[in-house]
Amino acid sequence: MMQFQRLVTALRSNDVEFVIVGGVAATLHGSARVTYDLDIAYERSAENLSRIVKALGPFQPYLRGAPPGLPFRFDVETLERGLNFTLTTTEGPIDLLGELAGIGSYSMVRENAIEAELFGSAIHFLNIDALVVSKKAAGRPKDLEAIAELDAIREERKRSG
Amino acid sequence: MTTPNGLVLDASIDAVIERYKDGIDRTLIRENLRKTHEERLLALQAMQGFVDEVRRAGEQMRREKR
Repeated sequence: MMQFQRLVTALRSNDVEFVIVGGVAATLHGSARVTYDLDIAYERSAENLSRIVKALGPFQPYLRGAPPGLPFRFDVETLERGLNFTLTTTEGPIDLLGELAGIGSYSMVRENAIEAELFGSAIHFLNIDALVVSKKAAGRPKDLEAIAELDAIREERKRSG
Repeated sequence: MTTPNGLVLDASIDAVIERYKDGIDRTLIRENLRKTHEERLLALQAMQGFVDEVRRAGEQMRREKR
């Protein structure tokens, strides 16, 4: 089972600069859809990459879908060489996104994020309008259903004032 | 519609999205909107656990049938 709490707590306690995006951000807005991975946009400074390695390293990150035994080192050098990583960990799948479709780099994602209290600390997640934009830009069939629900959430929020 | 990073989105998908909205169960949304952010995430985690358990039971049943 996905252990969001452990992953989020590890990222926060290591002062990682990140924003929750994707399906978990939709959940935080009130979506009832089930998602199986944690997507985060992350800031790409060397210091932050180092913090990510420290936070997630204990959870044995490995490339999701890669054959077992493929040499993969989860370190700053590897993160510097890539941008978006789809990983499996002992606490569940996590995607690290250096940029987000339709939004852009981390600074743009951060500008479109809101803050909430989660497991005792403040976390940032993508606001609902930007989430819709990112899902429209991704344009997969499952995203269209998700956008419909996000639209319904916006309507329900307006309705209830 | 143009995204913050300048991508122009195809407006034709809006009609598809509107059709999908007809099938949304708004009672679930209203229930979720009454919860805190933390409660929403913990509910998702619990639902994943349930789905995992159903999958595991299904796989076991298929193995036993063979």
